[in-house]
Amino acid sequence: MTALQIDTKLCCGCRICELACSFHHCRLFSPEKSSIEVSNDYVNGEIEVIVTSTCDTCKGEAELLCVLYCPTGGLKGVDKHHGE
Amino acid sequence: MENKKSYGIAGKILRVDLGKGKTVIEPTEKYSAKLIGGRAINSFILLNEIPHHAKWCDPENMIVIGVGCLVGTLAPGACRVSIDTISPYSNGKGSANFGGHFGPELKYAGFDHVIITGISKNPVYLWIQDGEVEIKNADSLWGMTTYQTETMIREELGDRKIQVASIGPAGENLVRGSIVFTNPGKAAGGSGVGCVMGIKKIKAIAVRGHGSIEVADSARFMNAVNKGFEKIEASPYAEDWRKGIIEQKFLPESPVWDAYASPRNGQDEYWPMNKRKKLVGIESGVPSYKKRMMACFGCPIGCMPFYEIHEGKYRGTKGLGYWINSALYSTKLDIDDPEVSISYHLLCNQLGLDGDMASVSLAWAYECFEKGLLTRDDCDGLELRWGDGETALKMLRKLANRDGLGDFLADGVKKSAQKLGKGSDYFATYMKGQDSVDPYRAFKGWGFGVAISPVGGRHLRGAVSAPEVTGPRDIKWSAFEYDNVPDVVFWQTQAKEIEDVTGICIYNGTWSGAHALEVSDYAELISSAMGIELTAKELMTVARRGINLEKAFNTLHAGFDRGDDYPPIKYMEEPIKSGPFAGQKCEREIWDKMLDRFYELNGWDSVTGLQTVECLKSLSLEFVAKKLKEQGKLKH
Repeated sequence: MTALQIDTKLCCGCRICELACSFHHCRLFSPEKSSIEVSNDYVNGEIEVIVTSTCDTCKGEAELLCVLYCPTGGLKGVDKHHGE
Repeated sequence: MENKKSYGIAGKILRVDLGKGKTVIEPTEKYSAKLIGGRAINSFILLNEIPHHAKWCDPENMIVIGVGCLVGTLAPGACRVSIDTISPYSNGKGSANFGGHFGPELKYAGFDHVIITGISKNPVYLWIQDGEVEIKNADSLWGMTTYQTETMIREELGDRKIQVASIGPAGENLVRGSIVFTNPGKAAGGSGVGCVMGIKKIKAIAVRGHGSIEVADSARFMNAVNKGFEKIEASPYAEDWRKGIIEQKFLPESPVWDAYASPRNGQDEYWPMNKRKKLVGIESGVPSYKKRMMACFGCPIGCMPFYEIHEGKYRGTKGLGYWINSALYSTKLDIDDPEVSISYHLLCNQLGLDGDMASVSLAWAYECFEKGLLTRDDCDGLELRWGDGETALKMLRKLANRDGLGDFLADGVKKSAQKLGKGSDYFATYMKGQDSVDPYRAFKGWGFGVAISPVGGRHLRGAVSAPEVTGPRDIKWSAFEYDNVPDVVFWQTQAKEIEDVTGICIYNGTWSGAHALEVSDYAELISSAMGIELTAKELMTVARRGINLEKAFNTLHAGFDRGDDYPPIKYMEEPIKSGPFAGQKCEREIWDKMLDRFYELNGWDSVTGLQTVECLKSLSLEFVAKKLKEQGKLKH
């Protein structure tokens, strides 16, 4: 079983994962329909990434789309039972 | 209003009259069939609707905010927003552009463009949410920095996902070189758009959208997206850009420094190694303060660094966005202290000052002080010495607040020189009435591209550096030779116009260093997203439409012609003093020939530089020809 592993140090806050996720869910582009929320704090240079309970680890897709499109390696798919 | 389904775009345009407090919504489709989106639509609206006699400060002037047609989708790097208006420098076309997260949020809120007219009596901000708009009181925001404004609006409206574009004190005080600023770090600069927000008394625009963007053919679109991502990943420069352009491309040893700097108000175009090492050396300079990289929305490159100074005099200084331009400001004033340089950049952002414009004004004043044309008394007791960063920081505050010498400089360097006289116009580096920060003499395609820019003296409308990094593939040229420069720049003006139609950042495209995304990629992305069929060639025609709309605006509103496409006089008279390009200057005879060729390629009259009836007819812009003919500005 696959789960998402997030490394916020690698994340650049581009929110491409939000778009890939919403595309998986409804074939639309909309951060509101994403199971991932990326928050950029430009005053302090911090980034927060949250995965919500609506994440179905891309059921029906060949790959985890957020991982596939992540440009920095900040998102990875890991096996829940056996680690990465 | 017709409720037709839109693909790729939000489908609606919001009009706000600040004087009457009225809002109107209309369909984007009215404009998108011929002009697709982004800046091309902005340019059409300005030319079509603003009367010739209107000045930048009149209620008839408009601020048109246009989001690129691919913004909000997964098209790589599609995030950018064009802001167009009458320039407060020249009454010609003012046009600026920022990335960040504001553009997609506006589309999710239901709008591709926002058109602001009129002048408010009191400070206001716009609150746009999911198809609705409210004009809100901004008394408590007036006087705040851009950073404070964004935070205060989010707190007032209770949603941290709100995106804000605001002005700082500089825009409020009608300093010509003022920016519109978003996601603390992203500035729309280059022609005083913040100053126009200031005269209209609009402090900010806040947006929040819960909507979606649907593309016409999602399978075809995702194929185009995948191809784009693959090309960017395959680019030899993508990884460099991600680490930060300063530490990858602007290290002291980089040959870029031999030609790109413009030290001491352009007295030279070369900065010596000892100063480079202090400013950007990996150990002692700017890169050592980097905390992390932060990207704009949807960008797989993510080129913007966040800096933080932990100790010493500037301890606690932090923020996003130290950039190539920031290094340019430093050289302009001969500042080699990296902490001052970072502080200078971030202070400009907070005050809402355009760092490029501010550095041109300051560098002019420093040179006038050096030459004895300005005295200590003229400078509020300050001594303007090259390399004195502390004084530069003081001067930024004076400029933003129109305090003393700051007020003298606040209308741009052309007007400052007119006021001072004494031959000081020679030291004023402006084009088409507006301050110009760029180098002109060593990089030939850069200088020419900056000079012909419809937005005076700016590098984002046709400037190219070197063939391995920028420009078309099928024309032979080199960075330091004049051969074929007009042809290359002609191509780049169109390619960049398309990028500002789509909203795709130039660092994913024609400045990506390896032609990552090309015009054919843009055509496929647009076709599959919007459900229209466009070839690369047809897209170039759309670009030429946009370019000709701007050109006509400049002719009708500012009277620009061929004479306005030559570089600042200083760069035509004064050669580079040191480095590998010592002795070179902009030679008039060569520029004469380059302009002849550039106008020929555009289908414009080579003697005057004015547009021709044949060119405009071929682009289905007969209404433009009619407007120009009425004013006696149309050629055959």
